[in-house]
Amino acid sequence: MVIKKGFLKRKKAQMKNKEIFQLLHKKNGQMKIQQMSFMLLGVFLFFALVGMIILTIKFSDLKQSATDLEEQNAMLLVTKLANSPEFSCGEAYGNQKTDCIDEDKVMMLKENINKYVNFWGVSNIEIKRIYPENKNIECTLSNYPNCDTIKLINKSSSGYDKFNFVALCRKENYKDSVVNKCEIAKLIIRYEEIK
Amino acid sequence: MINKKNTKAQEEMVGFALILILVAIIFIVLLSSYIKKSNSDNVVSPEVNSFVQAFLQYTTKCEQDSENLTIQRLIFKCQEKEICSYNMNSCKVLNDTLKSIIKESWNVGEENPVKGYSLIIFSENAQILNLTEGVVTNNYKGSEQDFGKGDEFISILFNAYS
Repeated sequence: MVIKKGFLKRKKAQMKNKEIFQLLHKKNGQMKIQQMSFMLLGVFLFFALVGMIILTIKFSDLKQSATDLEEQNAMLLVTKLANSPEFSCGEAYGNQKTDCIDEDKVMMLKENINKYVNFWGVSNIEIKRIYPENKNIECTLSNYPNCDTIKLINKSSSGYDKFNFVALCRKENYKDSVVNKCEIAKLIIRYEEIK
Repeated sequence: MINKKNTKAQEEMVGFALILILVAIIFIVLLSSYIKKSNSDNVVSPEVNSFVQAFLQYTTKCEQDSENLTIQRLIFKCQEKEICSYNMNSCKVLNDTLKSIIKESWNVGEENPVKGYSLIIFSENAQILNLTEGVVTNNYKGSEQDFGKGDEFISILFNAYS
């Protein structure tokens, strides 16, 4: 009887130990699941935050990108404008030349500029002589060629300027003959800022 | 039990190291692309290209057969050490004209965006002209152009330092 009682007591104690062990294991597993879910939540929040920051930067940069695009277009336009038929020297001054503007042609273009106002899509086009020295005299048919700046399109607007160097050539009378005279000028284009 | 714990810790350390390596690689790739982008500023500039093209066509004071020569023709004249009309030294005219053109066009100065410049004109055999002024920096816009007359070839190298 005593042996049986002892046996039962031992069995009971064993059962209790087993239960405690199982409970501990269960708690450990729950802990790991919790850790994992916290980790996943953390990773998700991190990437969401990074994504949001990138999106904010991208969208705030959109206006700047539009202005940059305008700038690039102006730069491309200014490089090809000097070689366009309306401006270029062609073969009037010897061989075909690049970055050479026929001043006589441009003065005639200035007289008919109303037909070309929206042709190039820029707000200002100006040709400024820089060498020999500029006295800042605007060119008209009455003072030409003793002047320095030819304002072709002059819409009053704010914006940024882009320029290119050009040779500004014209025909001149010298010792009873017609000679070529080329000077250095800047072809300036103004593009509008995106608001 | 201790052995199992050690292996697990080692695995976690390897994982952490892998993440660190991955982040470092991404960082290096981004950094190299940024450096490449900033280096691309030192390239041939259309502005400088157009400047060289324009000054080559400039009509100088050097006269020959009742006609004023362009800088392009004056370079050949200077190379041959020929004299212009009215006993003008062709190389001196070339030197003075180019100096004045650059001064008016680039506004070189330590407080200005363009800190210095160098213009070298050379043929296959010799240097014809070398103009350098201001500070020479690593940040520059440059252009190199070649032209020829018969068998002779001339190269022009212009850099504007900022």
